[in-house]
Amino acid sequence: MADQLFPVPPVKYGSLRVGGMTLEQSPFAETVSLGAFLGAGRDELVNRIHEMFGVILPEHPRAVHAADGRCTFLWNGPGQWLAIAVEGLGLLSRLREVCGDVCALTSQSDSRAILKLSGPNVREVASRLVPIDLHPRVFGKDHVASTLAGHIPVIIWQTEDAPTYLFLVFRSLAASLFHDFSVALNGLSYSETDSCV
Amino acid sequence: MRLTCPSCGSRGLEEFTYRGDASVRRPAADASEQAWVDYVYLRDNPCGRHQELWYHGAGCRSWLVVTRDTRTHEIFDVRNARDVALTERQTDAGQGEIA
Repeated sequence: MADQLFPVPPVKYGSLRVGGMTLEQSPFAETVSLGAFLGAGRDELVNRIHEMFGVILPEHPRAVHAADGRCTFLWNGPGQWLAIAVEGLGLLSRLREVCGDVCALTSQSDSRAILKLSGPNVREVASRLVPIDLHPRVFGKDHVASTLAGHIPVIIWQTEDAPTYLFLVFRSLAASLFHDFSVALNGLSYSETDSCV
Repeated sequence: MRLTCPSCGSRGLEEFTYRGDASVRRPAADASEQAWVDYVYLRDNPCGRHQELWYHGAGCRSWLVVTRDTRTHEIFDVRNARDVALTERQTDAGQGEIA
């Protein structure tokens, strides 16, 4: 008889607290990528999303929140966005109804994990890994950027003014990124397991 | 070296991949053998300004046309390769036959 499949979290540790800062896995989120079709697809997509969700899809690396607060759209390249919602809202089927004919919709829920970094000094911690300028003058609330954390591709999204960062990372690299952040948090760390709860 | 991506802003070299000379153009299907050899194999090695393709793989995944001085790495211009291609296509259409 075949073994039963069971869910395995992308990072086996729950969370890590260092100096009042917390690194944790965000709850599983439904993620769908939107890629506008050529021609009039882009404008039509922006119109439809505006009608249904009450937001204008951003042209620049920003996050915008649906009027009902249940879904967020992240810029993810020219003509491309990521829609993110808490699990169980049927985001993909809802989007398929709204704009399935003007853009490519692909479920990315299983592709990425989300790590959340919050607390004082997280800007300094994030700056140790991310090569972009995180100074509040240029990177504020609801700014997003696709970049590298060390050698790991991430989408960084600042969700609060007192910086709290979400890192969308490919699922199979989440444990490595968690480790890298544990090192960054500890300065000269030994092992992330020492302070895990 | 840093490149200013039109979408993402100033980013370090580690986010980009060099993808070759941006000035080569595919010859017509019935062009001479020599024209095809030039297109496929032969590249200039200019000392000075050079138009080249860069791929922003770790960022917005755009292809860019960068004008760079090969001696100093000074960057004169960064444009979306898509915009460059569309402009060229419009110009070609305006002139009729593609040379």
